Amino acid sequence: MTSLQQHLRYAAFGLLMGLTLSFIGFTNYGEIHKMFTFADWRLFLTFAGAVALSMVGFFVLARGQHITKKPLHKGTIPGSILFGVGWALTGSCPSIALVQLGQGYIPAVFTIVGIFFGTWAYKHVHREFFRWDTGSCE
Amino acid sequence: MIEYWPWWLGALALAGITLGFWVIIGRTLGVSGSWSRTAGWRESRMVERIEAPMRKNPSAMEDALLAATLAEFGEQQTLQTLYAASAGAATLPNAKRTTPTAAKKSAKPAPLADRTPWGVHVTFLISMLIGGTLAAVSMGELQWHFDLGSVHTMFFGSGMEMWVALLLGGTMVGFGTQMGGGCTSGHGLSGCSRLVPASLLATGVFFGSAVAVSFFVEVISK
Repeated sequence: MTSLQQHLRYAAFGLLMGLTLSFIGFTNYGEIHKMFTFADWRLFLTFAGAVALSMVGFFVLARGQHITKKPLHKGTIPGSILFGVGWALTGSCPSIALVQLGQGYIPAVFTIVGIFFGTWAYKHVHREFFRWDTGSCE
Repeated sequence: MIEYWPWWLGALALAGITLGFWVIIGRTLGVSGSWSRTAGWRESRMVERIEAPMRKNPSAMEDALLAATLAEFGEQQTLQTLYAASAGAATLPNAKRTTPTAAKKSAKPAPLADRTPWGVHVTFLISMLIGGTLAAVSMGELQWHFDLGSVHTMFFGSGMEMWVALLLGGTMVGFGTQMGGGCTSGHGLSGCSRLVPASLLATGVFFGSAVAVSFFVEVISK
């Protein structure tokens, strides 16, 4: 794959993500809050349904293929707790703040700055203190 | 009031993206990884620059190592060591009558990790933003908002407290997803659908803690 092809492919999937996350209401804090307080099961079912369908898809398409599995390590639980708290405060997981800004929500700039800073800070904290194998998300 | 997609349509779309990404790009979808490469652009750029000559010529690394070995130990000792090493490997079918050069040639250079340039990850993040704009246009909702909607304002206000909460919360999202090794897409969609133990645990934990905080926020603001 040439670099241009990679740019185009990632851009296509980025656009699809931005559109889908907007259309399902994943970018709306009110909808997210209703999911987390179980006041409305629509988004929860959306997510669970996506996992179930992907499971079938991977089962059919990836049979006998080895796909790297993320390792379990000392940071998995504390990191996920931090992420969950941040998600409940901002209504945003890593892709949402960007989509919100694209829709015109100016406060998302602060979430984006926070995510960027947190990601950057982790690299340094990890290098200095933790040094465990977190396996990247790519 | 915007009419959002019913759950089954959203589930189909998200599953389509998760699977399509893997089929077409050959990696599992994960947004926090793109943040990592973007926030670490300096390291990414350095690694890409150093790897460039090795990608162009896969044996460049071995040539460089051999040259450094020769410079350090001299020709005599290096040759002796290489002959000894190839004699030890003589039981291998392709190691008969091996000279040092042949030994060097027969060994395949270790392939470099297939790395996506960091600029591509930036493209990915920016195109998500553009996707949001396109969606807002198509719903006739594109306009500047100075808050995150009525529910958020009810809990966090619209002044200083909101900005601080978003900055702090965003930092926790950034730090937490890197520490936990993934986010809603990487652990939640790509990981859970393959029943990866770390992903199932991480998803349960981040969802659970978000539920706890959401109830807490609702209780204290009443």
